[in-house]
Amino acid sequence: MTLTAVAPTTKTPLPESPRRFRVALAGNPNCGKTSLFNALTGARQHVANYPGVTVEKRTGQCEIGGSPAEIVDLPGTYSLNSYSPEERVAERELASRPDVVVVVADSMQLQRNLVLLVQILQTGANPVLCLNMADEARAAGQRLDVAMMERLLGLPVVETEANTGRGVAELLAAIRRASLAPIARHRVVLGEDLEGAIAAVSEHLPEDGALMLSGEWTAVRLLLGDVELSRRVAEMPAGGEAVYEAQRQRARLEAVTGLEIPVFVAERTFGFVDGLLRETRTPPPRIDARALSDRLDDVVAHPILGLPIFGAVLYAIFWLTFTLGEAPMGWIESGAGWIGQSVSSLWPAGSDSLLRSLLVDGVIAGVGGVLVFLPNILLLFLGLAFLEDTGYMARAAFLTDRLMHRFGLHGKSFIPMMTGFGCTVPGIMATRTLENEKDRLATMLVLPLMSCGARLPIWMLLIPAFFPPSWRAPVLWLVYATGIGLALALALLLRRTLLRGEDAPFVMELPPYRLPTLRSVLIKMIGRAGLYLRKAGTTILAISILLWAAMSFPKPASHQIDARIAAGEVVVAVPGAAASNGGHVTLSAADVAARRATEDLEFSAAGRIGHLLAPVFSPLGFDWKIVTAMIGALAAKEVFVAQMGIVYSIGDADAGAEGLRALLARDYSPLVGLSLMLFLLISAPCMATIAVTRRESGRWRWALLQLFGLTVIAYLTSLGVYQLGRLVV
Amino acid sequence: MFPAANTVPASMSEPLEDYLETIYLLVQEHGFARVRDIAKARDVRAATVSISLRKLSEAGLVNYVRREYIGLTEKGEEAARRILTRHRLLTRFFQEVLGMSPHAAGQQACAMEHSLTDEAMDRMVRFFEFLGTCPSVVQAFGQCPMGVRPGDEAPCGAGSETCAKCALNHKEASMSVSRLKPGQRAVVTQITATGPLRQRLLDMGILPETTIDVERSGPGGHPLWIRCQGAQLALRRAEADCIRVRQAS
Repeated sequence: MTLTAVAPTTKTPLPESPRRFRVALAGNPNCGKTSLFNALTGARQHVANYPGVTVEKRTGQCEIGGSPAEIVDLPGTYSLNSYSPEERVAERELASRPDVVVVVADSMQLQRNLVLLVQILQTGANPVLCLNMADEARAAGQRLDVAMMERLLGLPVVETEANTGRGVAELLAAIRRASLAPIARHRVVLGEDLEGAIAAVSEHLPEDGALMLSGEWTAVRLLLGDVELSRRVAEMPAGGEAVYEAQRQRARLEAVTGLEIPVFVAERTFGFVDGLLRETRTPPPRIDARALSDRLDDVVAHPILGLPIFGAVLYAIFWLTFTLGEAPMGWIESGAGWIGQSVSSLWPAGSDSLLRSLLVDGVIAGVGGVLVFLPNILLLFLGLAFLEDTGYMARAAFLTDRLMHRFGLHGKSFIPMMTGFGCTVPGIMATRTLENEKDRLATMLVLPLMSCGARLPIWMLLIPAFFPPSWRAPVLWLVYATGIGLALALALLLRRTLLRGEDAPFVMELPPYRLPTLRSVLIKMIGRAGLYLRKAGTTILAISILLWAAMSFPKPASHQIDARIAAGEVVVAVPGAAASNGGHVTLSAADVAARRATEDLEFSAAGRIGHLLAPVFSPLGFDWKIVTAMIGALAAKEVFVAQMGIVYSIGDADAGAEGLRALLARDYSPLVGLSLMLFLLISAPCMATIAVTRRESGRWRWALLQLFGLTVIAYLTSLGVYQLGRLVV
Repeated sequence: MFPAANTVPASMSEPLEDYLETIYLLVQEHGFARVRDIAKARDVRAATVSISLRKLSEAGLVNYVRREYIGLTEKGEEAARRILTRHRLLTRFFQEVLGMSPHAAGQQACAMEHSLTDEAMDRMVRFFEFLGTCPSVVQAFGQCPMGVRPGDEAPCGAGSETCAKCALNHKEASMSVSRLKPGQRAVVTQITATGPLRQRLLDMGILPETTIDVERSGPGGHPLWIRCQGAQLALRRAEADCIRVRQAS
């Protein structure tokens, strides 16, 4: 090509002093790029999100030719056309000019995978071609002339098997070779007419016309009619000329070829790849190479059998998550309890030291609250990573998409929403498998409506308190069904309003089944769990300390109960002593402590807020006791039960469930019970959910929308139910 | 694709041929052209016009009748007429044959008029003459789903009886992928999607003349599971509707 445009000829080779050397891994989804990344970096990697988008960013360290190098795993993309957030992120990373770009291609799908290589060459990058899964392709009968491919492309080409680690050493050597001798000019041939048009446009580009990437790539994109880029170029001094030229060239090519430009460019690109493969590949992989995978799909993706099988797989994963997770969760809880007690015993018994309370009730309880989710998260992510890496996730999305799409969601929303029945936090984190930003946000925002495991103790307390045995199962079913129905309705509403926009194309690849390596599954699991601990953990801890403070301060100077004991109205019962009943109440020591706790809570900020907000909630049938307990439930939904126990002066709410139920049944009507359950189902998700939503969506905006949006909906629902119910009853 | 006047900044210097055209039209109308009229007509600053005028003058295409008053030389007039003929011919083609709006047709003509070779021009004139004697071709195109303008209702579903009757379409009855049943094979003829979807389909290797096999469908018939160029893909009904195919021979 006769391009005057930017070719990276001025790239400096590896300098003598060990400088931070950067390598980017690019490739299609499902090409084994992440396994390769794991093989290159081992445990020395870091998972984060790109700012403002829900795209995962993986970086890692490795050593190339004795000097340290940073490796960036770009999100998997089929092209660089910047239509999806992944594509924009990949483009931005390429624009930061990594020293070498390793283009990872699935050897079984070379045709499509090499198209990305062509585009990356056009951006002026310095690539190495890595033909991954070479073993699979060889087994399918494909024979490649790698030396010929190197000659034709003019860049290092290596075959690797990322799963076994074979070829990784050669890849490192090739990266080094590429860095020492960067390609001066790529050898992509697209035909005179198209190349001429690209050259004509890039000649008209302003001096700094390279913009983000090379002049050639800019010219290609202008030809393709990239609206945003055209606007940007037109705004540059003398940039209008290039846009105008692109418009002319485009019209000319369309008139000459009779094809629309995107189709024409794609045809030429695929044509170049076809030619390259004809020269270097004899024979291509056999058609029946996927026979085993296809036979499996005949059963697993069967229009009738598929869904029941999927149900069974999901059940197995949830069962494993929540049964295997139970024991370690217990250990963490008792561990936190033990540490709390040990710390507590550093102070004399009965001391009301502020520091002790902060450490035990604030910090240790808060950290415990973060850690307690960890077993579930680890196990669930282990299961999900396995489903993803085997390729089953794509089948699950294929099977459920029709249903989910009716509600504006995606087939891949299904698993996170089912996970939400266990715990909302891992459910929200599982939305990572959704590629489209809007699908992902919609799923995330409505996920708290799936009644999570922590709410089960609430239902177990409230339902028997207000409903006769024959009503209990239907009411529980109603609560769950309300959650699901509302979640789907809200998802639809969100996709029609705030998250409106064209559906991202559902052109989902269904890769052949593969057995994932334990290593890659474990790395994925640990990476995501680490993300939870680091980011969500700090927020959760901060909020739990805040809530602790709200429930502990201010403290009353004295307790009424003590005054009544002093006045002789109340007598503390001594075990074994005969109960004398001379006009005063006899209480056990535990009861007295419980009364003190009740007074403390009522006097605290939380109690005062409860009193303050009571009028707001009285149209829903709630009094200050319920409101105060709900403030505590912000920390974790199940805390509601314990808080009701404190409000009603029952020392241990779980043990005293019967007593508490009796008191609830005395104070509230079943209608209030229903209104309360609906409110707790829909309203403000727990703070862990809020923190994770903030983390995963990248913006507070969405987390706050979730918090307030759901609370408002809960209020209106409970209001409606309670007021209508009163008319009827 | 880009509305010419409002996105292109005024500082940009238009190709000289466009100036020639403008001057010609102004001279036809008023007998002369002034810099400020040209600037106004082309929506640029007067300074920009002067630079281009100097170039045109150096090429011997324009002369200054008086200060500020510009006329065309014989050579210039001939060149301008040549462009204008092309412009009108192309506009007619886009408007009358392809059914584009007058505005869009004019813009497209502007973009193309400079690159049309004498040969292409000659062929196009002949094609117009042919259409004059055989207008049914234009009508047929306007009625076929392929030729229906965006926004208009298609008079018949592609592949329906009307099209099947058409002798040209008889062998290659066009339909969308969403009509295919599992086990059927077809060849892509056209991608009717736009924007990101079209690009995605192209990225996945779904190009005209590639073969598509429908492997299976999801519960209730959708999404479709297709095989194309060795890859297996799932497509929703809406997406499958955007890929037109003919039966594989």
